[in-house]
Parts: sequence; structure tokens; C-alpha cells
Amino acid sequence: MTTVTTPRPGLSSRLSALSKVVELGPGRLDPKLMSEAESLLLRAGDRLKLSSEHTVVALAGGTGSGKSSLFNAVSGLELSPTGVRRPTTARTHACVWGLEGAAPLLDWLQIQWRHRFARASALDKGESQLHGLILLDLPDHDSIRALNDNEADRLIGLADLVVWVLDPQKYADASTHRRYVTELAGHEAVTVFALNQADRLSTEELAELVIDLNDLLRREGVEHPTVVPTSAVTGRGVESLKSVVAAAVSRRRAAIQRLEADLRKLEQRMTAAMPVGEALAIPAAVDEARKMGLVDALCDAVGVPAVGEAMENIYVERSNRWVGWPFPRWADRFRPDPIKSLRLEDVSDEIKGIAAGTVTAQAAEVTNAVQALAEGLSGTMHPVWRSSLHHAARSRLGKVPSALTEDLTQVAPQLDRVPAWWRLLKAWQYALVAAFGCGVLWLLLGLLIPGALPPALELMGDTAALPWAALMTVSVLGLGALSGIASRNFVELGASRERERLEREMRRRVAAIAEKMVVEPVERELARHHAFYTAMRGLSS
Amino acid sequence: MNTAMDDGRGERPGEQTLSLPAITDAPPGPPADLPAEPERAAGRPPGAKPEREATGPPESSAARPGRDSPAGRRAGERSEPESPAGRREPGVAERSEPEFDAFAPFASGDSKPGPEAPAEPQFDAFGPVVRGSGAAAAEPEPATGEETDQAPEETPAAKREPVAVEDSEPGAPAESDASEAAEPGLPAEAPGDGAEQEAVADEDEADSVPEEPEAKSVPEDLGDEADSVRESPETEAESVPEEPGDGAESVAEEPETEADSVPDKPEDEADSVPEGPEAEGVREEELPPETVKAMAAALGALRESVASLRFGLDLPGAGEARKASGELLAQLEDYVLPRVRMNTAPALIVVAGSTGAGKSTLVNSLAEKNVSRTGVRRPTTGVPVLVCHPDDRQWFAEGELLGGLRRFDQARPEAGQRGIVISATEKLPQGVALLDTPDIDSVVEEHHEIAHRMLDAADLWIFVTTAARYADAPAWNLLRLAKERGARLAIVLSRVQDRAREVVLKHFVRMLTEYGLGEIDRFVISESKVADGRLPDSEVTELRLWLAELSVDGARRAQAVRETLNGVLDSFRTRVPALAKHLEAQVAFRGELRGDVEAAYLGALTDLDKAFRSGALIHGEVLARWQDFAGSGDLMRSLQLRKRARSGRQTPERIIAFRAALRAGLESVIVAAATRAAEEVTARWRHRAEVGAALADGLERPSDDLVRHAGRAVAAWQEHVTELVRTEGVAKRTVSKLVSFDADSLSLIFMVAMFSGGQVEGVPHRLVKALLGAESLRGIGAKALSDLRARISMLFDEESMRYVQALDSAGIPDESAATRLYQATYNLEVAR
Repeated sequence: MTTVTTPRPGLSSRLSALSKVVELGPGRLDPKLMSEAESLLLRAGDRLKLSSEHTVVALAGGTGSGKSSLFNAVSGLELSPTGVRRPTTARTHACVWGLEGAAPLLDWLQIQWRHRFARASALDKGESQLHGLILLDLPDHDSIRALNDNEADRLIGLADLVVWVLDPQKYADASTHRRYVTELAGHEAVTVFALNQADRLSTEELAELVIDLNDLLRREGVEHPTVVPTSAVTGRGVESLKSVVAAAVSRRRAAIQRLEADLRKLEQRMTAAMPVGEALAIPAAVDEARKMGLVDALCDAVGVPAVGEAMENIYVERSNRWVGWPFPRWADRFRPDPIKSLRLEDVSDEIKGIAAGTVTAQAAEVTNAVQALAEGLSGTMHPVWRSSLHHAARSRLGKVPSALTEDLTQVAPQLDRVPAWWRLLKAWQYALVAAFGCGVLWLLLGLLIPGALPPALELMGDTAALPWAALMTVSVLGLGALSGIASRNFVELGASRERERLEREMRRRVAAIAEKMVVEPVERELARHHAFYTAMRGLSS
Repeated sequence: MNTAMDDGRGERPGEQTLSLPAITDAPPGPPADLPAEPERAAGRPPGAKPEREATGPPESSAARPGRDSPAGRRAGERSEPESPAGRREPGVAERSEPEFDAFAPFASGDSKPGPEAPAEPQFDAFGPVVRGSGAAAAEPEPATGEETDQAPEETPAAKREPVAVEDSEPGAPAESDASEAAEPGLPAEAPGDGAEQEAVADEDEADSVPEEPEAKSVPEDLGDEADSVRESPETEAESVPEEPGDGAESVAEEPETEADSVPDKPEDEADSVPEGPEAEGVREEELPPETVKAMAAALGALRESVASLRFGLDLPGAGEARKASGELLAQLEDYVLPRVRMNTAPALIVVAGSTGAGKSTLVNSLAEKNVSRTGVRRPTTGVPVLVCHPDDRQWFAEGELLGGLRRFDQARPEAGQRGIVISATEKLPQGVALLDTPDIDSVVEEHHEIAHRMLDAADLWIFVTTAARYADAPAWNLLRLAKERGARLAIVLSRVQDRAREVVLKHFVRMLTEYGLGEIDRFVISESKVADGRLPDSEVTELRLWLAELSVDGARRAQAVRETLNGVLDSFRTRVPALAKHLEAQVAFRGELRGDVEAAYLGALTDLDKAFRSGALIHGEVLARWQDFAGSGDLMRSLQLRKRARSGRQTPERIIAFRAALRAGLESVIVAAATRAAEEVTARWRHRAEVGAALADGLERPSDDLVRHAGRAVAAWQEHVTELVRTEGVAKRTVSKLVSFDADSLSLIFMVAMFSGGQVEGVPHRLVKALLGAESLRGIGAKALSDLRARISMLFDEESMRYVQALDSAGIPDESAATRLYQATYNLEVAR
């Protein structure tokens, strides 16, 4: 390959962007576009591998517009049979100027051997500029025969340059325009319109017709159509057609231009289907705020705050039995128990059992939390990506509630645990109670039988000491009550610290699970989304 | 057939000549003559009418007898006093008494079949003759004068007489005179005529079967004729084919009574020979008026049903169905209805073909006038151009045929898709009109539509193609269409180079033969210099002859017209049911989509039920709050012994939180179920068809209000349960003596018990059971659950309404429309 023929870096980078899009596209991109993109990649790969010295020029058109006659006129030989019966040509004929290296290309074009012709053009005077031309005479595309035959379609898709052979009768046929010409926008460089059978018209008519044809083509998006009036019969215009073709052939760029035009066309359709727009503004990762939101919602699903609160309340309630001032507790015992009166004594134990902490996750809330995350992230996405993101977010949803339950049960508060200081306090309380009892006994003894005490207890009979004893007894009582209140405060303080710790721990674990089971797949999809649109942008730049 | 036709013509030249005076008299007569010369007026209308009548009823009666009991019928006719007279008259005094003309056709009509009787060819012969007389009547007119313009129009009028009377304008004195003349009063004024009139009336009243149609037509014709003389017959054409005597007081009783008597018989006949017209079509018979009436009614019904069709859902094929129904409707209005009502109107020959095939050039050459623009630009013709003989012009200008199109004198830009240019030239023979259409295959797709619409209204198709194009796919698609529709077709192969003539022609003919079109009339036009938009005259001679023949040979024309009409009517057998089928598919599809919605939300409700029963609700926060409630002693505290007064205790925070947690839990379960249902619906819709996907757009998620509504519903339900517990939770007497309870707390325990499902041994369950008693618990439980279900299903109904609305917004297909279509098709078949 010479330097002239190497594809511009633009084309190869765009082709690689296209292959990236194709790689990421399945399930996201319209299958029709996908298959077109795939076939374009395939074709581009094939064509760029094959001879770049040759330019494939196809003569296409409706039946009876004179493709074969023009083919013969250009090649100067009666290679393709012409006739008046319609349709005439059923097989593609090829004529090659400069055979060297053309065979693989002709094979690729699937031209039958017996329809291949060669012109040793280098020897022909004045035809050297056609060296490298492969001229194809296609079958028609609009006769009833063509209904079951896509030969013309296939080669129109493969040729580097297409010469549309039109004639005064059929130049405005829908079968040509709707199916092919409207697809040609952007292909101006590799499309030529030959208005054949010009000999049938007067000069004025021809001029009018050329203007009309130009207008028509422009209306259909072909910005600068190349229209060459020709007449295969009189030979008029054949030379100018030849020179147009020769110019393209000598530039050796038609193949690349064709691919570029096709790529641009495809890219436009892809962009229309999936506009890049703001898509790249969507981050490729889940931001912190959203993660926080998800963790919060999952914590709610588990009931982390409620678990904390319950733990705290139950802790305080239970501590009462240990560190509370015993007297009010004893007083409570004498209160009649409604449960007992309902003969549901065993229930009260079970009620205590309920408090034995288990933590579970509510599946519906987990679902809603994940849904909300996906919703928030995909708000501005293309519907296809939105649904694929939802799908990704939910890919492991089924396992999340059980994972949460299992993981958090490990840190569930042990409510039947009794701290040592509770026992100490209890002992202290009972000591105080005992002291109080002693005081009361002293007072009783001292007051009732002051003299009758054994000498060892004489002091107790001392009336002067009695007020002090009374004071002490009351103080013990007060001390007990005070210590009860104080220890309760301690318990509450501890409980709330425990609760904080618990909540932090649970949150940490919830966050870990959320990261692993929700955020991770979501981020994978986001990354794919980002890569896809980056490739799309690469395709269009 | 041709020979038979000739025979027929040869047999009765008298009639043709006879009809001349009658008609020429008529047009100038009415305005002035009628009042002045009642006899003449009276005489004339019958004279004019009968000819037409002759073409109409007598034929049909003749044809019918031919089928059921020709001999008897004819014998009956013969036995009547008039017929012999009538028959004699034409022979004896044809020329002298125009009035007798009236009977001439009858009589001869009657008498003819007699001898010819059952032999079909003879019927054929007979038909053409009668027709021929009609045509003959029309032909001489140009010669006689311009006033006779209306003569051809009378033909349609006459055909339509049952229709037309309605419109008659009594305002004109002449008319009333004429109609009076038609009435029995007439004899006094004009004995000669009167006798005949009476005779006619007698016949009618005598209920003699075969005479009926004639009888009916005669008196009506009087009125009608009077109208048609004065009014433009086209306006009458508008009138509905009912109540013949209705509109015009002047026409009054007589015709009415007769008209009354008429329908009975013929209908019987029609009943007994339901397939009559079809068979007759072959014999180019005209339809008896009653059949016309029945068919017009059936077609009208069909039109109504087609017009009311809506294909709202964009199912695959909906576009085609929409297009097909549009075409059907246009064809019914443009062509079938007008054609059925008056089938002797000039034949419309539509010239169609590819762009650049030379349609306009051909039409210009035949018209010898540049009526349609030609040129090298493709496509050239955008607005259809109709060319006809000046005499036919008015008919086309005001007729119902292609009634939906605006008429223009010359091509104008605003004509566009809804216009038609009408132009007249004497170079064209009468009775045939050429319509130059836009192409069928250029880039301008509106042209294809116009062309097809014109073809739908065509009596004959001339298909133009060229040596370069004859293998084009669109051309063959059109030929296939023509074949499918059974349209009468002629093919013109133009631009044939002389040197290629042999080969091309051979090949083309072979292709045609392979396609089953080998028998069709073909014309070849050589490639030649087109001067001034026209071909050399020599190239079109053949075609011109063909046209002339068609013009002169009314029978052949009529046959072609009938064939095409029958072809179109036949095509309804498949086209209408195809529409109905698609409509049914729409209805069924809509049903499926609705079913999807219902199934999804029903599934969601079932899921919820399951969740309630399985204890899925007592998880997460609810569980934690329950533990809190129980473990912190609130549960015990909520139960108090009776003895203690319930001091106005504040509801503790924990209870509020518990309640809120329960509400949130329920809400989330509901929302999750609704979300799932919404996704399921959209997924199912997407799966079904593209249109489902389009409809489902934006409905993948539950509505924004759902959360709010669900919260409100659950809160209301909680209130309801608390209320239930308070009012109905009459505790067991033994319990209530001892224990009082706080309704708020108890309702919460109750809810936990309810949602923890099967765990009957659970604490909450046993507690509430002990407190409320098993029976009361069951009652409250059932009520609470059904109330919850009702609230949720209301929510879901609201949700599913969105889908139903989306469906409805696409248009609600009428489920009975398909049935109506089938019915209309069936009725049409019966009427034929």
C-alpha cells in the first residue's frame, strides 16, 4: 500500500470506536443497527485488506435505462449483451483495467469467472487514467425479476463508487429514489448520476430535465449531485462520464470515501437512536450521597434505629431488676398481675423471650430502596439503558434481605447479658437494705426495751444515741434511693453508648452488603454506559 | 353475442327512430310545452321514459321470467289488454303517435322474450337491443341540437326514478301540470293519452306482476322527467332511493300508490332470484330498480360501517387496514354507490401507468386537444384530468361519481389531491370518458394514491406501459390488482421502437399469458415523434376505434361496466372480511392487553395476601418495634386491672413509633407489589407487540401518587382497626371484669397477631385471644383483613386505570363493528 491509500487516522479510529460500540451494544442498541454496524465493520475490514489499487465502480439503475449499453460504451467492447427485452441483464458483468491484484477483489465481489473481462489498459492509449478501474454492470433492481434477487442490492452495497444510470422515462421512479437515493446523503463523493438516453431529448428538454433531476436529488438530501448526461447510442457524454470515473480511480480514495460516508450515515442513525447528549454527564460510579441514601434506606429496612432504641429501652428496663432500689420493686410484686388474672402466666415469660433480640430485614423495603437508587441514577438515561440499569441493580436483590439478616444477627444485642457492675451494685443495694434493717432493729430495740439489752448491746440502749441511729437509718434509706437513681443514670448512659456502638456497627455491615450486592453491579453497568457513549462520541468526532 | 346483438338491432330499427322524436321533443318541451299541450307533455314523458324503462324494468322482468317461469309470466302479460295493443301500435302507428312509443318498448320487450324465451343468447340479443335503443336515443342528439343535452342525463335519471321524485320542485307550474297529466285526471284533458295512461294505471292496479316495474316507472317518470327537464338531474341523484312519491306533492297519490304496489312484487321476485343480478351481469342486463334499491341500501349500510371503522392500535397491519378501509370508503362513495344507482352513465375509462409511459400524451392524442400537460419532467401529471364528450360533461361535472373531488376547469395548483380537472371535446365519442391519472411509481407518493383512487372508480382500465418498462415491478403489481378486482382492462404498450417491435411484443405477450392476462385487448404504439404533446394520429387510430365501438355499442360498454362493478363487488367479499378480521384482531389484542393489566394486579394482590399470611411483614423495623414494645414493659402496662381508674394516660411514644413502623411496613409491601405489577404489565405489553411497547411508554413505574395514597390508605385502615377493636372488641365478660385494656395498644397487638400468620401459638395471638375471645377475634380479624384488601384493591384499581387510559387513548375499537361489517357484506350478497 502506498501512503496515499492508507486510511486516514480518522477512519481507523472511528472504525475502532464502532467496534467498541458493537461490543457494548448487544441488548442496548437496536438489533437492526447492530447488524448493520457489524456488517459495515466486516465490509470495511475486507475492503481495506483487499487491493487498494483498484476502484470498484458499479453501474446501477432500473431495467431499460441502458446500463449495459453504457458499460459497453465505456469499455469500448460489446462485453455485456444488450437488448430490448426487459429485463436484459441478470448477472453482473465486470471489466477490469489493470488485472494485477484484482482477482481477490473480484472474488470478494462474487463475480462469476465467465463474466469477468480484462482490459490491458496500460497499453491502450489515453486510457491509462482508467488503470485500476473495475467496472460492474449490475442487473436492474426494479423489474419483477429483481423481486426475488438481491444481486443489485448486494453490489450497490459493496461498490466503491456507484454510477446511477437514469433515463428520461424512469429518472423519477420511486423504486430508485425511495430505496437508494434517499440513503445517499453524504455519499456525494462516491455517487455519480448518469442521465442516459440523452439522445432521445432535444437540447432544451435535456437542460430542463437536468435541472429537474438536480432539484429532485437535492430535495432528497444529495447536496451536490454529479449529473452527467450521456448517450450510449451516440456516445455523447460517455467521455465526460469516463473522466469523472477516471478522476475517482486515479485518486484511489473512493473505497475509503465510501466507507467514511457509510460510517457517517450509520453514525447519524445511531446518534439519532441513542443521542450522546447528556449521557456522558452521568457519572460512571455511584456518588457518595446516593450510597448514603441507599445505606440509610437499607438500615430502615432492617430497622436499625428501632433495634437500637429497643435495645436501649430493654436494657434500661432490665437493669431495673439489678440496680434499682429494691423497695419499689418489692412493692410492685404485691400489685395484682393482669396476666395472672387472665391465666396466661406462661405468656409473661414469652414476652420476655420476645425481647431476646433477633434482627431481620424487610424484603419489600429492601426492594424499594434498590428501586429508588436505580431510579435516581437512571433518570435521564435512554430507556434501554434505564431498564438495563434497573436490571443490574436488581441482579442480586433476592439475596440481599437474607444476607442482611444473617450478617446483622451476629451483632444483635445480647439482652440477657448481665454486666458485673450490675451485680456489684445489687450487692451494694442489698447491703444498704441490710444496713437499713439493722438501723430499724436498733431503733426498735432501743425504744421498746431500753434496759433489757444484753450488755454487749448496751450502746444500742443508749437513748442519746437513738436520734443518731434514726438519722443514720434514714440516711441509709436515702443513700439507697440515691444510688438507685445514680446507677440507673449510669445504666442509661451505658445503654445509649452501647446503642451508638451497635448502630454504627450495623450500619457498617449494611454498607458493606450494599456495596457488594447492589452498588457493585450498578457501577459495572454505569461504567458500561459510560464506555458506550464515549465510543459513540468517538464515532462521531 | 355480437351477431345476436346485430340481429337485435336489425330487428327493430323502428324503435331507434321512434325514440328520436320522443327525446327531441322532450327537452325543449317541458318548460313551455307542458302546460300548453298537456297531451304532448303527457305523451312525451312516457315516450321518453319507456325507452329508458325499456332498458330497465322490462329487461329485468324479461330476464327474471327467463329464470323462474318465463312462460307463465309472459303468458300473463300477453293476456292483458294493453300488451297486444301496445305491440300492435309500434307496428302500425309508430311514427304517428309519440305516446305509443311508450308502449313500443314495453310491448316489444314483452313480446320479444316470448318467442325467444329461454334461450340465453337470445336474451343477450334482446338486452343489447334495448340498450342499443337507449344509446341510439342518445346518439342522434348532437345532430338534433344542443337542448337535447339532457337526454343522456335523463338516462341516469330514468334509472333512478324511484329515487328522484323526491326532489322534484313543485314551484314550477309546468311540472305540476305534467304530473297532473300523469294522473288519472289526465284522461279528461287528453282522451287519447288518458286512455293509455289509464291503461297503464289499470295494469298497475291490476297488480299484474310483470307490468309492475313498468307501471311504477311510468308515473314516476312523469314527475321525474319533469324534474329532470328542469332541474339538473344530478341533484336528484342525491336523493335517497326511497319513497318515490314523497317530495313532490304534484306527483302525488297516484304514483305513490303505484309505487306501493310495486315494491311488493319485485321484491318477491328479487327474493326468488337473489343471484339474479350476478348472472345478469354476464348478459349486461340492468338491475331491476328494486334490486338497485336493495343494493344501494346494503352498500349504504356497508359504507356506514366502513366509515365508522377505527383502528386505534398500531398493530402490525393496522396501517394497511386503515388504508384499505379508506380506499374502500372512497371507492364506495366515488364509484360503487353512484354506479349501482345509475349504471348506464357514461363509462369512465381510467388511463393509468408508470411515470413517463405517455398517459397524458395518449389522452391528448385521443382527445385531439391538449387537455393534460405533457413534458419531460417526471412525474408530469399531478391532478387527474377527465376528458369526455361535451354532452357527458355535465354528468361528470356534477355527478356523484368521484363525488369527493373538487371539479376544476383547468389544472390549478390548488387542485392538489382532492381535485379533478374536467374538460370536454367533441373528438371523443359519447358515453366514454377518459381519465388521465398521475403515475403509479414516481417519487411523489401522493400520486400513487390518487392514481389508485381513480382506478378504484374506473369502469375500464387502460394500462399504459412502455417498451422500456414493461418488466417493472410496479406495473405488474397494478396488473395483479386489476386481475384481483376483476376489472375490465386494456393494455397499451407504447414507445415501441420499430426494430424491436417483434421481440418486445412477443416477450410481453408471453409474460402476460404467463400472468393469465393473455386475452386482454392490447394496443401497440410505436416510438414516434411527439408533436405538441400528441402522437401522430395514425398511432392511435386503433385505440380510437376501440373507443368508438365502446361508445356505439352500448351493450358492450354496459357489459364492461357491469363486469368491473361485479369485480369490485366481488372484491368486497374478501376486502371487507379482511377489515373485519383486523378489527377483531384489534379487539382481541386490546382484550389481551387489558387481561395483562388485570392479571398483573391480581397477582400483586395475591402476593400481598401471601405476604400478610406468611408473616413477611413482621420483619425489620416492625419486629424491632414489637420487641421494644414487649420488652420495655409497655405491653404489660397497656393491660390494667379494672380496679384502677384509667387515668388520661398519654399514648407513649413507643406506641406511636410502633404504629408508624407498622404503617411504613405495610406501605412498603404495597408499593413493592405495585411496582412489580407495573413492571410486569409493561414487560408483558412490550413482549406482545411494538404497539404495546409504545403504549407502555412512561408507565413502567407506579404513579407518583402511589406512596402517598398507600400511606393514607394504611393509616385509614389502622384507624379502622382501632375502631373495630374499641367497638366490637367486647371482651369476654370474665375478662372485662378484671382487666381493661388500651384500644390503641391492643389494636397494634392485634395487627401483629394478624400479620404473623400461622403462628397461632405466638404471644400476640394468645394475648388477643385471651382478651377478646376467639369468636370476636375471628370477626374482627375477617373484617380487618377484608377492609385492608378492599383498600388495596382500590389503590390498585387506580393504578391499573392508567393503563386502561393509555389503551383508551389509542381509541376504543368497536367490538360490534366487525359483526356489522360481516352483516353488511352478507346483506350485500343477498341484495345482489
